[in-house]
Amino acid sequence: MRRVRNGAMHLVVAAVAALTLLPFVFVLNNSFRTNSEIYHSFFGLPNALKDMAQAGGAALRGRETAFPVDAGNGDIIAAAPDEALARFGAIAVKGYRMAWRVIRPYMLNTFFVCAVTVLGVGLLGSMSAYVLSRYRFPGSKAVFIYIVSTMMFPGVLTLVPSFLLVKQLGLLNTYWAMILPYIAGGQVFATFVFKSFFDGLPEDLFESARIDGAGHFQIYVNLVVPLSKPVLAVVMIMNILSTWNNFLWPFITNIDGRHHVIASGLYVLATSPHASNMSTLFAAYMASSVPLLLLFIYATKPFIQGVTSGAFKA
Amino acid sequence: MTRPRPALIGHRARFTLSCYGLLLVPLALLTLFVYVPVMWAFTKSLFQFEVGGASRFIGLDNYVEFITRDPTTIPSFLNMLFLTLFAVCTRLSIPLILAKLIHALASERARYFYRVLFLIPVLVPGVAVQLIWAGMIYRDRGMLNEALRAVGLDTLVTGWLSDPSTALVAVAFVGFPFVGGFEVLIYYAGLSSIPQSVTEAAAIEGCVGLQKFFRIDIPMVLSQLKLILILTIIGGVQGFQGIFIMTRGGPGFKTTVPGLWMYFNAFSFQRMGYACAIGVCLFAVIFGLTILNMRYFKSTEELVGRR
Amino acid sequence: MGFLRHVFRWLSLALIALAGAWLLWPARDGEAASARRDGRDAANRAEARHVITLSPGSAYLPGAVPFGVGQPLVGLAAVIRDFEKRFPDTRVEIINVPGVREYIVTQLSSGRAPDIINVNVEDVWTDVQKGWYVPLDAYLEAPNPFIREKGDPTAPGYHQWWDMFKYQAISRGKAAPDGRNYCISFDMVETAIFYNKDIFAKVGVSVPTTWEQWLDDMAKLEAAGYTPLLMSIYAFNDWCVDLIFDQLYYAVLPGIDLLQDPTREKYLEGYLDWDELCFLYRQGFFTPRDPRYAELWRHMRALRKYCNRNLANIDTDREFVTQQGAMYWTACPLTYRLMADKELGFEWGVFYLPRFTTATSEFASETEMCVIGGAGMQYEVTNSAYNDTGDPATSEKLERVIALLQFMTVPEHYERIVNEYPCFLPNVVGVPVLPSLEPFEAILERRYTTTKWIFTFDLRFSEIQQRMLELYLNDGIALDAFLEWQEANLEAATQNLLARKNVDMARLEREWDRRAPLRADTRGLPYD
Repeated sequence: MRRVRNGAMHLVVAAVAALTLLPFVFVLNNSFRTNSEIYHSFFGLPNALKDMAQAGGAALRGRETAFPVDAGNGDIIAAAPDEALARFGAIAVKGYRMAWRVIRPYMLNTFFVCAVTVLGVGLLGSMSAYVLSRYRFPGSKAVFIYIVSTMMFPGVLTLVPSFLLVKQLGLLNTYWAMILPYIAGGQVFATFVFKSFFDGLPEDLFESARIDGAGHFQIYVNLVVPLSKPVLAVVMIMNILSTWNNFLWPFITNIDGRHHVIASGLYVLATSPHASNMSTLFAAYMASSVPLLLLFIYATKPFIQGVTSGAFKA
Repeated sequence: MTRPRPALIGHRARFTLSCYGLLLVPLALLTLFVYVPVMWAFTKSLFQFEVGGASRFIGLDNYVEFITRDPTTIPSFLNMLFLTLFAVCTRLSIPLILAKLIHALASERARYFYRVLFLIPVLVPGVAVQLIWAGMIYRDRGMLNEALRAVGLDTLVTGWLSDPSTALVAVAFVGFPFVGGFEVLIYYAGLSSIPQSVTEAAAIEGCVGLQKFFRIDIPMVLSQLKLILILTIIGGVQGFQGIFIMTRGGPGFKTTVPGLWMYFNAFSFQRMGYACAIGVCLFAVIFGLTILNMRYFKSTEELVGRR
Repeated sequence: MGFLRHVFRWLSLALIALAGAWLLWPARDGEAASARRDGRDAANRAEARHVITLSPGSAYLPGAVPFGVGQPLVGLAAVIRDFEKRFPDTRVEIINVPGVREYIVTQLSSGRAPDIINVNVEDVWTDVQKGWYVPLDAYLEAPNPFIREKGDPTAPGYHQWWDMFKYQAISRGKAAPDGRNYCISFDMVETAIFYNKDIFAKVGVSVPTTWEQWLDDMAKLEAAGYTPLLMSIYAFNDWCVDLIFDQLYYAVLPGIDLLQDPTREKYLEGYLDWDELCFLYRQGFFTPRDPRYAELWRHMRALRKYCNRNLANIDTDREFVTQQGAMYWTACPLTYRLMADKELGFEWGVFYLPRFTTATSEFASETEMCVIGGAGMQYEVTNSAYNDTGDPATSEKLERVIALLQFMTVPEHYERIVNEYPCFLPNVVGVPVLPSLEPFEAILERRYTTTKWIFTFDLRFSEIQQRMLELYLNDGIALDAFLEWQEANLEAATQNLLARKNVDMARLEREWDRRAPLRADTRGLPYD
């Protein structure tokens, strides 16, 4: 009975997973197909991969079959299995090669913007949460309300004035146009999360440190930072994701197109002539998600620890 | 909450000062990049104003126009309401059920595998998700129509995002089955933090299966539910990027939401003051909802604490 | 000791952060995301006195592979290399920016736009009074120096740059409401119906000569299981409105075309400008009381019956090449797409829309369908082009920017850009059209349209019209309700235009009265 139920649950979860992943499998599949393949048959496996399998099989068996191959300039030539395999492989990854050329700089920009933003958010968020959680001083409540009430301002409300502000500060076309507002906005949720975490910590810890004569800063560095590692992981991941996904703001502030991040870069790519090659676009989607995939494979555990640590409550 | 014993009078002042010293950078950034733009928007909502053009004080005219005369206001707020409610219903229930299912699986390896698997959709930028849905699923020869044709339901084939009767629902269904993302993980974390003792006690009293789900699990993850609720509402009221990409709010105003209309007014129609007034109205809505949420929706601790 | 270590750690972090900040601050030297041309490094660029940024638009972007077929484009890059040889103190950087509205507004208001951008000139019109663009009339009326230096006084461009442009009516029609020209119509684009000859033969229909016959053909094609006509909401909102408008109003034009622009009129056969349309609206035209106007939309809905279901998010290319659609109303760049498709299993051809007859409408003017084409790429010079001195009169950079445009329109350079592959038609005299685009050249010889309806008013007007039109075409709203929306929309647009620009209403009034006899016998006028 229990085994049957477990099996049924597996089935349900797997079915939902399949439905969820279907569009992404579709994108992955089409990232290996040429335009005319996608146009002429909607669902179908990549010809280049099928050809590669055939040529590879022939090469393994040592057969001397000649394969008709596109020479790269539109001419069809006959090629031996080894050469055919290489050429088919080149066709299959053509989309990725082009996509990589276009999004590589966006990738680097994203890494940089995310890294600085996340560091800033983690640092500022934990610091102000620590101060607000563990000390009572005149105005501490007001400060907390001042910080968290910004969560209620719609982003669209501040889009235009923020743009004008960033322009006034001369930050257009710099990474700072993204980093500083991201930190300013991101620290709010971080402060909120850190504070509910710190609020739940026993006071004795801090008391004893204070009795030892440690100052704010030392307590923060020696006690708070190590204690808050799991929450830090969550805050960082959430922050990386929102930074990674925000396309409108970088799209508007990067007037010369040099500082695009992946999200805005993808939008530009999708509206540019490069997108006429659909596999490029699909390959760009796939390639752009690889770093996050890696991050997640390593970070799922600390993330779950962080979420369970009691910070994710409202 | 303890307070350090003040040895000297000056010490207390110094202490306060040092607290503010630590808060200086966060507050400065917040003020500059959030409050200054917000104040600017509040002010400009009283003006007739366009970027690069003249600015003229007109009092509350923008608000009056938006609330009483703009024919898009009512439909767009209704659309927003529908989309937000739909999102709340789906984001609160389906991921929770799924998290419960995963949590109840016997093998630890399977649980880990599914947790990572359901995170994959998060990895693809939101822009890409919307482009995928608009470009592959809802197109004339997209997945949905092809599937309908394949099973012989040709009469149901339609231009999903273009058909006035389906456009809004089609927009709402983007992301089906609504489980890719954090919600699953957050609920999963909530479920894992239910103490073993509670589960055992429930089992002894014969509370298992569905009964346990409703009487133990849901109350124990209330604080997670509340968090997701707040985030979903804020996202639902503010969000318009997906609609912008997929339908631009059409056909007619069938999928327009106030945020999108604000965006058009600000950037296309040269009516920045009017756009700011829409934004302030949206803020008022979120503010009201948050107050309601704080007042009437108690989380686990508060419930437990009151007992 | 531990404390010192922490101080050291934080100090080093701060140092790294500071170093990063210092490295990243100068925006110009940051990691370049845009396509930089080969062999061009930062040091090289620093030597140049002027750096011109050019956003050439999608059609000629070097490195792009149109439709993903063939080799990357090189033409524009080669011409720019020649230009840089000619002016060693100047560097030209090509960047690719999307031409969407919010982008334009933010770029130009911050004065950091590319020096030459490609924007639909109608988007420019709303902003001309803000000084965001440089008027080009003075340069267009002066000689093109690169033609003059060749010493042939008969060559177009020797006396004035304007003479080099082939399609004068369209190019000059791009003048803004203030009468000045802010754009160079670099090339020409024209639309037509692409049709699948195999399907036509199989179903037994032929290229139609009248609107009625066309609708009959489509009914047959639909009965045979094809989508008869593929088109998007943009085509309905823009091209289709203009063509049907012209068919219905051309006959009454003498009575309502109130003003004749002295420079443009010789290239046009009657054209309703924005001030005339505003005035006519105030006379009751384009309201529910105007029978022609109501009929315009009815014809569009009759046509829509035969179109693809999803008008907004179109998948029309695929439907045409997979032979699910029999006809496709689109612009000439599709030619290349079809030519390059090796798996295309059918013959295709091109025809232009057939005219209305009196069977179609009692208001049909029985003239052939007019031209609605325009420039594919429209280049504007922005306010950042003179940011070296801040004054257009003294700016040397602006001179270079204009010189670049003039250089690009010299026939032998122009040919390398526009005729690199069949996409748009040349708009420079003496440059041959590529053979595959010849059918479009024939279409462009027709009479120019009576109006460019959605581009006449503001962006709010066109946005709302497009939405409501999509709703109406999809049966989401009745014609009466749609016309009410349009009237409110037109009222707002008229008020906006009249508030922004000085219109001599008294003069329009006089002309209106003067033409009263010409309207005496006309049926179906709104004041009846």
